[in-house]
Amino acid sequence: MIYFDHSATTPIHPDVLKKMHEVNRDFFANPSSIYKTGRKSRLLVEKARTQVANAIGASSEQIYFSSGGTEANNHVLWQIIKQEKKHVIISEIEHPAVSKVLKEIETYGIEVSTISVNDQGVVKIEELIDLIKDETTLVSVMMANNEIGAIQPIKKIKQILKKYEIPLHTDAVQALGKIKVDVKELDVDYLSLSAHKFYGPKGIGALYVKNKDDLGSLIIGGNQESGVRGGTENISGIIGMGLAAELVTKNQDRWIKNLKKLERYFLEKVEHHLPHAIHHKTDNLPGLISISFPGKNSNILMAKLDRADIAVSNGPACSSGNIKPSSVLKAIGLSDDVNLSTLRISFGKNNTIEEVDYLIKTLKEIV
Amino acid sequence: MSGGVDSAVAASVLKDQGHNVEAVFMKNWDEDDTEFCTAAQDYKDALQACDTLNIPLRSIDLTKDYWEKVFKIFLEECKAGRTPNPDILCNKEIKFKAFLDFAFELGADKIATGHYSIIEEKDQLYQLKKGKDINKDQSYFLHRLDQFQISKSIFPIGELSKDIVRKKAKDLDLLNYDKKDSTGICFIGERNYKNFLRKFFDVYPGEIIKEDGEVIGEHDGLMYYTYGQRQGLGIGGGHGKKEAPWYVSDKIIDENRLVVVQGQDHPSLFHTHVKASNVNWISGDAPNEDLSITAKIRYRSNDTPCKLEHDSKNTFIEFENPKFAIAPGQSIVFYAGDTCIGGGYIETRSNKNIS
Repeated sequence: MIYFDHSATTPIHPDVLKKMHEVNRDFFANPSSIYKTGRKSRLLVEKARTQVANAIGASSEQIYFSSGGTEANNHVLWQIIKQEKKHVIISEIEHPAVSKVLKEIETYGIEVSTISVNDQGVVKIEELIDLIKDETTLVSVMMANNEIGAIQPIKKIKQILKKYEIPLHTDAVQALGKIKVDVKELDVDYLSLSAHKFYGPKGIGALYVKNKDDLGSLIIGGNQESGVRGGTENISGIIGMGLAAELVTKNQDRWIKNLKKLERYFLEKVEHHLPHAIHHKTDNLPGLISISFPGKNSNILMAKLDRADIAVSNGPACSSGNIKPSSVLKAIGLSDDVNLSTLRISFGKNNTIEEVDYLIKTLKEIV
Repeated sequence: MSGGVDSAVAASVLKDQGHNVEAVFMKNWDEDDTEFCTAAQDYKDALQACDTLNIPLRSIDLTKDYWEKVFKIFLEECKAGRTPNPDILCNKEIKFKAFLDFAFELGADKIATGHYSIIEEKDQLYQLKKGKDINKDQSYFLHRLDQFQISKSIFPIGELSKDIVRKKAKDLDLLNYDKKDSTGICFIGERNYKNFLRKFFDVYPGEIIKEDGEVIGEHDGLMYYTYGQRQGLGIGGGHGKKEAPWYVSDKIIDENRLVVVQGQDHPSLFHTHVKASNVNWISGDAPNEDLSITAKIRYRSNDTPCKLEHDSKNTFIEFENPKFAIAPGQSIVFYAGDTCIGGGYIETRSNKNIS
């Protein structure tokens, strides 16, 4: 299979896979146990915490492991119902792991406002200023969008919020490994990560919290994760995530260079061979391309690419394998017809020019 | 590939015949209606079947088409107090039109479904025949198809009985081999028909009367009742003969009144003459006058001998023997022997010639 769907998930890096296997085999002891092997498990978990912290410029005590990006988002967002202030602002292109959570939280008497985006998929900062009120307790804007890759002006948003002392959360699951994520520079208060988006395993993620005292519990149980996230640690997942994060730190520049090269090459070829295609050009994540083929049904294109053993995406699928017009593509102004003719191609560190050539050749045949 | 046993076995039969087979899961009803819709589970079953059969599964969302071309008409018919059959429209407009177009776009030569019916080609004329398993025969639901639609279709299990289909499914290790047959109208499923319709209509209760005009009860809204219906009339004892149950014999739409009669043999429940509109002839032409024809007035009824006459708009049917509970809105479907030759919508029924 030729895999161009790295925004959905990435293959696990072989070093990570190997490490996880070793950990599962040799270090099954509970990190809360104080005998020798338990102490070793604890050390491994704490090493991974440092690795994740290093990847985003944080310190290790600011990192809380969770079951993934969705839980990290939920962890931050559900704290809102305990606050005195009852107003939240999010962007209109958030992943359901934010937008649907807030739909639910709204039923607890929380008011949610939405910042719209321009035709590039970037939030309109001037709207944010109008939406802020005394009651605003949190703003949550994703770092980069999962469908069109649009990178959001997180740093600028924080600069505005600072004046009002409103904390900022950012869902950065799409960002790490593709753009620089530095919590000091961004100055965010909360940031969510998911390991499987950067060649780590599924079922593990982390939440960065600037001031650890600001975080209450979501999942209540044992005293793990400084008491704010109960449950015996997913040791192999945590260690896999740690190593994956370290690999990001080490290799990110090279990976990004490759992603940019593939993207540039692909778009040049598209312009030449597929002149009717519309590339939704944004200040995007490198290697994530949202492209429409007006007059075509993306489900048909997907089926034909699948026959050629090429994996791309056509928007978030529902439980019957079907797609609805994407709300993100709607937000950047696409009509339903164009919306439903859109493919998302997301390259990864291992993709090659030859694979892109094969994609172009196949697209030429089927479009 | 619905997730049911029929389409799964149909795909397997085609594979055995050496065809290059791909499966498509069709979604016709919005799953946000989570209370009853089984689409998510059906999709998982379809995935499993396709994995077992080693064929790819595609998906298509025809929710919009279904709403516009089937459901809206279903509602209009209900409102008019008729008894519509949306599955027939679904075949004509969705499965054998929108889906057929989708399949062509995917590069298919033909589509296949798990219908119990048989297609035969004779002198470049495609004939639709009853399925071998006469209990499962679904030609009734397919009678509005035309030559093109049938020429592009295959019914791989039309020659099989349901028992054999289930046995084949079991032999193939298909996990859905004993899945329950779907019943009722697909978008309503097992749920309460009244509660479902109530979401779409204002309800106007009215009187239930006997033929002589005596009021003996109240109905919840004419659209909830069909001709020949016995259950759920809510008529207490003390009316007429104690033992014999009451049946719906007529609906007086203008007066919002439901007419009931007592006893299954009551003559008002039987009619010999039917006027049918919008008749589709599968061959493209009305049959010759000398052809002996039988007709079914609903899916679960026997086809019995009748004679046809036509004018420019309608077909007039005279049955040899009176038929029970002929319901306007339902389809009357014609057969010549085992061949389904077409059908139309029942407009009116009576006991004398109405042409």
